[in-house]
Amino acid sequence: MLEAKNITKTFQSEGVQTPALRDVSLSLGAGEFVSIVGRSGSGKTTLLNVLSTLLAPDKGQILYQGDDVTGFAPKRLNELRNRDFAVVFQFHYLLPYLTAQENVLLPFMNGLGPVGREEIARAEQCLERVGLGGKGGKLPGHLSGGEQQRVAIARALVKQSTVLFADEPTGNLDKGTGEAVMDLLTDLKDDGLAIVMVTHDENYAQRADRVVRMADGAVLS
Amino acid sequence: MNILTIPLRTMRKKWLKTLLLLLVFTLSVVSIVSLNYVSRVVGESLEKKLNAFGANILVMPGSEKLTVSYGGFSLGDMVMGMTDLRESEVEEKILSIGYRDRISVIAPKLVSMTKIGDVAVGVVGVRFDREKVLKGYWALDGAFPVTENGILAGAKAAEKLGLAVGDNFELGGQTAVVAGVIQATGSDDDSVLFANMDFAQALFGEPDHVSFVEVSALCAGCPIEDIVAQLEEKLPDVEVQALQSIVKQRMYAMHFVEHLILTVSLVILFIACCMVGATMLSSVNERIKEIGLLRSLGFSRRNIFGIFCFEAVLIGMASGIIGYFGGYALSLKVLALLDMSKEAVLTMHPGHLALTCLLIVGVSVLAAFFPSWKAASIEPSTALISL
Repeated sequence: MLEAKNITKTFQSEGVQTPALRDVSLSLGAGEFVSIVGRSGSGKTTLLNVLSTLLAPDKGQILYQGDDVTGFAPKRLNELRNRDFAVVFQFHYLLPYLTAQENVLLPFMNGLGPVGREEIARAEQCLERVGLGGKGGKLPGHLSGGEQQRVAIARALVKQSTVLFADEPTGNLDKGTGEAVMDLLTDLKDDGLAIVMVTHDENYAQRADRVVRMADGAVLS
Repeated sequence: MNILTIPLRTMRKKWLKTLLLLLVFTLSVVSIVSLNYVSRVVGESLEKKLNAFGANILVMPGSEKLTVSYGGFSLGDMVMGMTDLRESEVEEKILSIGYRDRISVIAPKLVSMTKIGDVAVGVVGVRFDREKVLKGYWALDGAFPVTENGILAGAKAAEKLGLAVGDNFELGGQTAVVAGVIQATGSDDDSVLFANMDFAQALFGEPDHVSFVEVSALCAGCPIEDIVAQLEEKLPDVEVQALQSIVKQRMYAMHFVEHLILTVSLVILFIACCMVGATMLSSVNERIKEIGLLRSLGFSRRNIFGIFCFEAVLIGMASGIIGYFGGYALSLKVLALLDMSKEAVLTMHPGHLALTCLLIVGVSVLAAFFPSWKAASIEPSTALISL
């Protein structure tokens, strides 16, 4: 469903070139859960950003359902990010002035047309799915760290995306809450959602179908 | 809920910043609106005062001049087909032009020559009530005539004829009385006698007949050429001439006030724009995380640009409305302080309000353009790195 072919990415800062990805190839099947592990600076977050189209590679192809997304026009790329791909970050990045429900509804709010009842019902379902039923009216500041991360996951689910990209989703949570988030991701995988997760935690990585190890911008296994 | 919920909630959340921005912009609009209103009233008042220094348009009988010479010997100029000026008709037509509200004074003149004793003198028939407005610079010994046969004598004419205030003398077979003597002006006025128009018409001409008409027009609201063109259209057989030097002198004074106000308004507007621009720019930098997140959720560059521009539109709109009413109220207060509230005719026009709002919204969007463009240009990956 999603395939990265010979991806190369180099960052340039003050004339110094730092290779982040060197000829990386990776594939993800429908409903597959892949975790990417590696030390800091190994290139795992860069790979996740490239796969999720948030960062353009210097070389290589990203094939999604057979189409090379690196050649997509901005409009089509935005549609892809809005409809098919969803990203959960280490920090929840909820908008503090919107309620939990409104944060979940954000992907529907990219136009002048009002969000419909169906979408609101869908947001409520997603909040219930992540165990936050009845908390949709609360502002992020009134929720715990774990709850905020679950709102971010609900936001990723609301458009019924096919691929979820998670960048250290448990990195900012205590062990108990982290476990709960991992349980949620495993459940979502069981429901057919393809997941690419970047993590430092070997135990969490092992809960995926496949573990990809990276070092110095290259895939080891 | 839609995309506009985001800027609306941001403004509500950051209410103090929004309020300060609104206050700065509103104060600017208040200043500009009140400056504009006050300058208009002051300008019109200034022009009315300047009208006391003479007319700026002449309406004369139409004629064709022919220079005749034969065998190198000049026979002088021959005036052919001179049209007759009827006071009532000319006045009616002048007052029927589109710019009739800009006509301040219509002063007809009947010029004739006569002899008093053995001394030849020019007699000018005038409407004294209008002449009083037009010749505000006249200094009199005595007063303006109030009787039908009252005369105002120019300084030189009075001296030549040995006339003083209160003297009776014979003029064209009728007894005239000197009501006043005009102190020397250095102009043609010094050498003539001014008589009441009806009295002069009865003595030297025929009823309703005049030699020419002086018109004083207020040029602040329109170019003098337009008034002249309209007069020519209504009075096709007569000659209408703008006294360009007088017009230019007056317009210079008027334009000076206008340019001063425009410059001050532009400076105020520029400062307000800088404030809006700087605030929006800092807002973009503060909200870079939010921009990165929205871009990762599929928001387009246009969406992000729209979010920031909408904030500027709202601030501009609110400032425009509050500022217009505030400016109107302030100008009334200022005019009262300047003791000009009686001559001020200020009207609150919905068109002015709409124009003010449109202008201010345009300016605030212009001020927010660069910050909004910067926000829209942020790549999601760049924003993510900064997260």
